Amino acid sequence: MGTLLRGEEMCLAQLFLQSGSAYDCISELGELGLVEFRDLNPSVNVFQRKHVNEIKKCEEMERILVYLLREIKKADIHLPDRDVNPAAPSPKNVIAIMEQLQRLEVELGEVTRNKERLQKNLLELTEYTHMLRISRNFVQRTAEREPLQVHYEEFPFLEKDTAMDYNSMQRLGAKLGFISGLIQRAKIEAFERMLWRVCKGFTILSYAEVEEYLEDPDTGEPVKTVVFLISYWGDQIGQKVKKICDCYHCHLYPYPSSNEERNDVVEGLRTRIQDLHTVLLRTEDYLKQVLIKASESVYTWVVQVKKMKAIYYILNLCSFDVTNKCLIAEVWCPVSDIPKLRRALEEGSRKSGATVPSFVNRIPTTDTPPTLIRTNKFTAGFQNIVDAYGVGTYREVNPAPFTIITFPFLFAVMFGDLGHGIIMSVFALWMVLYENNRKLKNTRNEIWNTFFEGRYIILMMGLFSIYTGLIYNDCFSKSLNIFGSGWSVNAMFKAGVWTNEVIRGNHLLTLDPNVTGVFRGPYPLGIDPIWNLASNRLTFLNSYKMKMSVILGIIHMSFGVILSTYNHLYFRKKYNLYLVFLPELLFLLCLFGYLVFMIFYKWLVYSAKDSRHAPSILIHFINMFLMQGDGVPPLYPGQTGLQVFLVVIAVLSVPVLLLGKPVYLYWLHNGGRRLGMYRGYERVRRGSEEELYLLRGDDMEEGSSHSDLSSSGERCSEEFDFADEFLHQAIHTIEYCLGCVSNTASYLRLWALSLAHAQLSEVLWAMVMRVGLRMDTTLGVLFLVPVFGLFAVLTVSILLVMEGLSAFLHALRLHWVEFQNKFYSGTGIKFCPFSFSLLPSSFEHDGLL
Amino acid sequence: MAGCQELCFNVDHGYLEGLVRGMKAGILTQTDYHNLAECETLEDMKLHLQSTGYGRLLSASEDDLTVTLLDSKLRESLLAEFSCLRSNALPPLSTFLDYITYSYMIDNVVMLITGALKHRDVAELLPRCQPLGAFDQMAAVGIARTPNELYSSILVDTPLAPFFQDAVTETNLDEMEVEILRNKLYKAYLEDFHSFCKKLGGATEETMCPILEFEADRRAFLITVNSFGTDLSNAERTVLYPACGKLFPEGLRLLTTAEDHEQVKAVADCYPDYKLIFGEPEQGSDFKTLEEKFLEQEVKLSTLAFLQQFHFGVFYSYVKLKEQETRNIIWIAECITQRQKAKIHNYIPIFQDRK
Repeated sequence: MGTLLRGEEMCLAQLFLQSGSAYDCISELGELGLVEFRDLNPSVNVFQRKHVNEIKKCEEMERILVYLLREIKKADIHLPDRDVNPAAPSPKNVIAIMEQLQRLEVELGEVTRNKERLQKNLLELTEYTHMLRISRNFVQRTAEREPLQVHYEEFPFLEKDTAMDYNSMQRLGAKLGFISGLIQRAKIEAFERMLWRVCKGFTILSYAEVEEYLEDPDTGEPVKTVVFLISYWGDQIGQKVKKICDCYHCHLYPYPSSNEERNDVVEGLRTRIQDLHTVLLRTEDYLKQVLIKASESVYTWVVQVKKMKAIYYILNLCSFDVTNKCLIAEVWCPVSDIPKLRRALEEGSRKSGATVPSFVNRIPTTDTPPTLIRTNKFTAGFQNIVDAYGVGTYREVNPAPFTIITFPFLFAVMFGDLGHGIIMSVFALWMVLYENNRKLKNTRNEIWNTFFEGRYIILMMGLFSIYTGLIYNDCFSKSLNIFGSGWSVNAMFKAGVWTNEVIRGNHLLTLDPNVTGVFRGPYPLGIDPIWNLASNRLTFLNSYKMKMSVILGIIHMSFGVILSTYNHLYFRKKYNLYLVFLPELLFLLCLFGYLVFMIFYKWLVYSAKDSRHAPSILIHFINMFLMQGDGVPPLYPGQTGLQVFLVVIAVLSVPVLLLGKPVYLYWLHNGGRRLGMYRGYERVRRGSEEELYLLRGDDMEEGSSHSDLSSSGERCSEEFDFADEFLHQAIHTIEYCLGCVSNTASYLRLWALSLAHAQLSEVLWAMVMRVGLRMDTTLGVLFLVPVFGLFAVLTVSILLVMEGLSAFLHALRLHWVEFQNKFYSGTGIKFCPFSFSLLPSSFEHDGLL
Repeated sequence: MAGCQELCFNVDHGYLEGLVRGMKAGILTQTDYHNLAECETLEDMKLHLQSTGYGRLLSASEDDLTVTLLDSKLRESLLAEFSCLRSNALPPLSTFLDYITYSYMIDNVVMLITGALKHRDVAELLPRCQPLGAFDQMAAVGIARTPNELYSSILVDTPLAPFFQDAVTETNLDEMEVEILRNKLYKAYLEDFHSFCKKLGGATEETMCPILEFEADRRAFLITVNSFGTDLSNAERTVLYPACGKLFPEGLRLLTTAEDHEQVKAVADCYPDYKLIFGEPEQGSDFKTLEEKFLEQEVKLSTLAFLQQFHFGVFYSYVKLKEQETRNIIWIAECITQRQKAKIHNYIPIFQDRK
């Protein structure tokens, strides 16, 4: 409890690490996660530090690992279990791992390159066969004197030319050339246009689409391609055509001049493709084997490299001592963990076989240590709520332990419904029971993770909601009649107040508790279920809930103010107790505490008999400030006097709060100096002033080293600025006094939200469920099924999730603003130990693991 | 009407504007440059660039790092970003983005022609082209002999075709002619882009027109200054001046008659913006060439574009700034490899006063 209330006591320690065993020691510390390292060479550039080369090596290894993982993923090989947690490899083993990795990389690279080459080869051959198969049609078609698939309308004479057979062309003396190949479907039109423009029609292009999708060798995407055949005249044109083909990235293949040649080529291609297939299959097999072998140890390597990199990173933070024989590291460490730290260092030294042990040395410091509050899985969620507002200043009172109760309670006040509470707690209980389930734990769904992290909070909220639901007697907006109502309608008849005529004649009837037997005493737990029938139920509940919110609010705030005493006492600022805490408490209690008193007084004193004379508390409270009250009868004798007294005290406490602390500090500051000078004269010793400062420093040391004032008496006296102090106190005073009013009003959100929740669930019942229940034919049973479904969905989505979130937010606000600003400054820095388990993994970030 | 434009802007272009503003946050800061300039080797630079927006861009390469590799990687990253923007763009933003690429296309065409004149292999030239201005017919540019042929057979399908209207001549392409061609194309391009931005109106016009006007004037100045000592006559020069800048028409007329640097300076003195650029360097500061000063001014104008919202200028500015950043990184890398530490600080920082 002590550490949960205040956080761990921390100390600054120096680690002297023998250079031989430093690596192992830090590895050991990283496993345990005990200490936070401080950067001892902040002025040194990142790449001028000592172990940059090692870090670079680690990065190189990471790069290879990323490559490996990517290949493994591509090959669809399942990674083995990841529960292994290998220690960081010793520097000697690193070389072995490095070599292993590099060998793997080279091997993989070679195989993959081979495979790619083979694939490319195969692709080319396939393309070639396609080309031959399709271009045969062109020739056949020309032979059959059919019009070409594509031709230029503008030059009909060219068509005639193509129709001529090759012999007649040759006889004409022109040299006919062919270029054939494949081009991407999308480019063919531009290609055709350019060809025509450049060659002025001295070419004929015929093309046809390949039916299958071929893989693009660069991107690996399937693309539609087109086989084309260009016939051209003359070498000049041929050159240009080739250039254009290059520019459009066409794949060109030699065009066989005769049919026999074509058949030969096709035959040859077929056998080669078959061969390639077998070779490719073998290569893939081999590749898979290599990858499977690699996948067995790849996770171990990933962890090892990660740890190694972290260790070198930490070593870079250390500095060398003068003799260059040992490394000095400065760490923040919880005082209670120092023995553990020593043991870890011993272990590290033993592992590396160092002759000289590494050791720890506590050093005094004036720096504010980081805050460490140890949590378990239950308290962690609540601590997170507090930390989200601000991490506690070192050794300050931590609101989290109180939040564990107050947070779910305030939530439940707004969410009071037995049924909803049960659903919520069952859901949370399920998460709690299955919290070790890996599937629940390791999801990437952020929304789910939020709920899962807060499972204990949700459980507590659910349980408290069940309790408040019982108090409000609300279960899905219906009341439970467990103990039997305390009211009796029967008695009204017996007493003769109601007769049958009265009942027939009146739409609404009022039960009179003054008639004997009608009201038999309060319901044992919570609100009497008969109120569920009453038409003035809302009025009754509003009055009740509003008063309850104010009472809870005042109690909550006073508790916050009282908690501030723990801080004042711990930080040795006793004057704060009288000059800040006391006026604050008096102000709060004299005004709003008295309001609470009046509420209770009215509840207790006025019963059903004299309820007609019950005064309005609001009027009395306003009259209290106006110092008048002659018009209304007093609640109790001596009321006016007491009220005047309370108001005077409250008003008087304001100047005390405003001026007390600054004036006292000013006096302390001035008085201290005068005292010092006086002593100096008396003893005629030069050191006396110093001594005094030391003295004063001494008795302030423990407290003030953490306080915002300063670390030693000397600095304290020099930095004291009355105007500054006064301004701060003035702001604080204004904030507090106005805050008391507005915060009290702010607690009324408890009432408002609870009202909203109750009304919403009632509306849901009336609009959905009741409609289903009203149908009394047999069909109604069937009709009830979808109605209930709708009711259930709306209940969960609106009432549980949405209303729950809004109540959660308001509870959060009440804690952060209304409660914590009374005592919690939250300006600390969180202690983040060097721990391997907390390190982020770049691989996970890339989605490779 | 203007208000309506702003109301509807986010419907079509809000996502991309947000995206480009996010990308802008990744532009290297003064501290990044400072760190880069302190590097000893390219490997150190790689380490540093890893901690910036470039991230793992360089770490995946197995080969040794060279300046050329660095250059192509940086260009690739810009291309990737740009094509992401382009493929998500709706008109008229898509047209605007296309306009940005046209200037790179012109550069590529000119470079390929020059290469072809020097009988260099196209395959060797292609990797050196700016990938932003890549187009299908690029490799065939070398076939052309005259601007006319270039236009009618190769570029007629490309978006550059409209800019060729004035540039079509039957003279053979030589180096001089290529430069003239480039300037003619640029003139047509800038004027067209300018009128396009004018047509878009609103904040786009307000931000883009000053940038394009500056660009036009810069070209006019540079043409004039570079023409001294060549056989380009004054009359020929006049045709090349883009007529959409602040200099138009009075300044351009004066520039036509200018015969030496002093006269150009006299023209610039009439315009406060350019007076600074042509002014004498301050005492104690490093000497900067005219082009460097123009680049600095361009960076300044480009950064200004980010101050307004709901316009397309940010896209243009982002590309220009990123290009400048690439130039800066390459400069630093070159200085490091050539051990010219003294000149390493001659880069042009972007977003200087950001802390």
